[in-house]
Amino acid sequence: MALKRKRREQVGDDELELVPVMNMFLVLIPFLLLSASFYHIKAINTSVPVLSSTSSKASKVPAKSDAKVTVIVELKEKSVVLTATCDELSYNDLVKLETEIAVKNPDAYPMEDLSQQLMFIKDRYPKSDTLILVPTQHVVYGTIIQTMDTARSKNNAELFPNVVLSGKVG
Amino acid sequence: MALGRSNKKPFNPPKLQLTSMMDMFTIILIFLLFSFSNNPEQMSLDGQMKLPESTSKLDYKDSIRLVLTKDELKLDGKVVATIKGDEVIGLDKLYDALKNYRDVADSLKQDVKIVERKEHILFLCDKDHSFKVVNTIIKTAGKAGYPNFQFGVVEMK
Repeated sequence: MALKRKRREQVGDDELELVPVMNMFLVLIPFLLLSASFYHIKAINTSVPVLSSTSSKASKVPAKSDAKVTVIVELKEKSVVLTATCDELSYNDLVKLETEIAVKNPDAYPMEDLSQQLMFIKDRYPKSDTLILVPTQHVVYGTIIQTMDTARSKNNAELFPNVVLSGKVG
Repeated sequence: MALGRSNKKPFNPPKLQLTSMMDMFTIILIFLLFSFSNNPEQMSLDGQMKLPESTSKLDYKDSIRLVLTKDELKLDGKVVATIKGDEVIGLDKLYDALKNYRDVADSLKQDVKIVERKEHILFLCDKDHSFKVVNTIIKTAGKAGYPNFQFGVVEMK
């Protein structure tokens, strides 16, 4: 009878000793929280223009749609000016690609209009992949990054992945 | 006799219900450990520095780090120039340091034929700086032999 009672007491006392585990958690969690980062840093590849020692080789004139157009986007104070340059296209063809978009709100550049125009150029010359971004001195870095995003893609469709950042010459 | 008998029950210390707290801690611990394993290399940024947001999904690569805070320019953690308004003071120090990196990298390339070198600069810049400041710095880096950059941005949600 006494043996039975003793065994019942022993069964009732079986509990996990959680306090040491809790202590470990209390040390680990503040440490991890202190060194955790809640934002993810990503990168955008870009370059500055450099002097090239190689001369451009004369090549066969390709079909117009195969031409690689380099788009130049100037971020001015009151407008965004788009021009294009290409050795394989005539002056008249290039002039057709030029546009000036007015900036109505100086804090928000018209990225949607710019995107539409870039899509138009990309549609006509799908092999084009380079855009030269020329901001004026007052344009803030945040706007430059926003313009680079607009230039790179639209709705997951690639536009001009190679963005070169350049200061205005002259 | 009845007065002398104690009515007190034996004291049983209350037991804490730790199970639910354990569950919570386990979840937090797993979340934190996962966020570490996703991005093991972290970088510490100046608390006042605001990086621009971008849709870019590209991960940055280990490279020379140039950090432009509101009033300082740091190259690999060392202050090389200061910013006053739109002026960068002490650019020659930046040029010399980068030129030194370039020379070392070039000599390594010739001697050991190392293929992977730090060929670009990871540029972290406060989003409110004007292009005048940014342009001065990236042009100096370009002249010192580093024309390729990775602009550090915060991933847009």
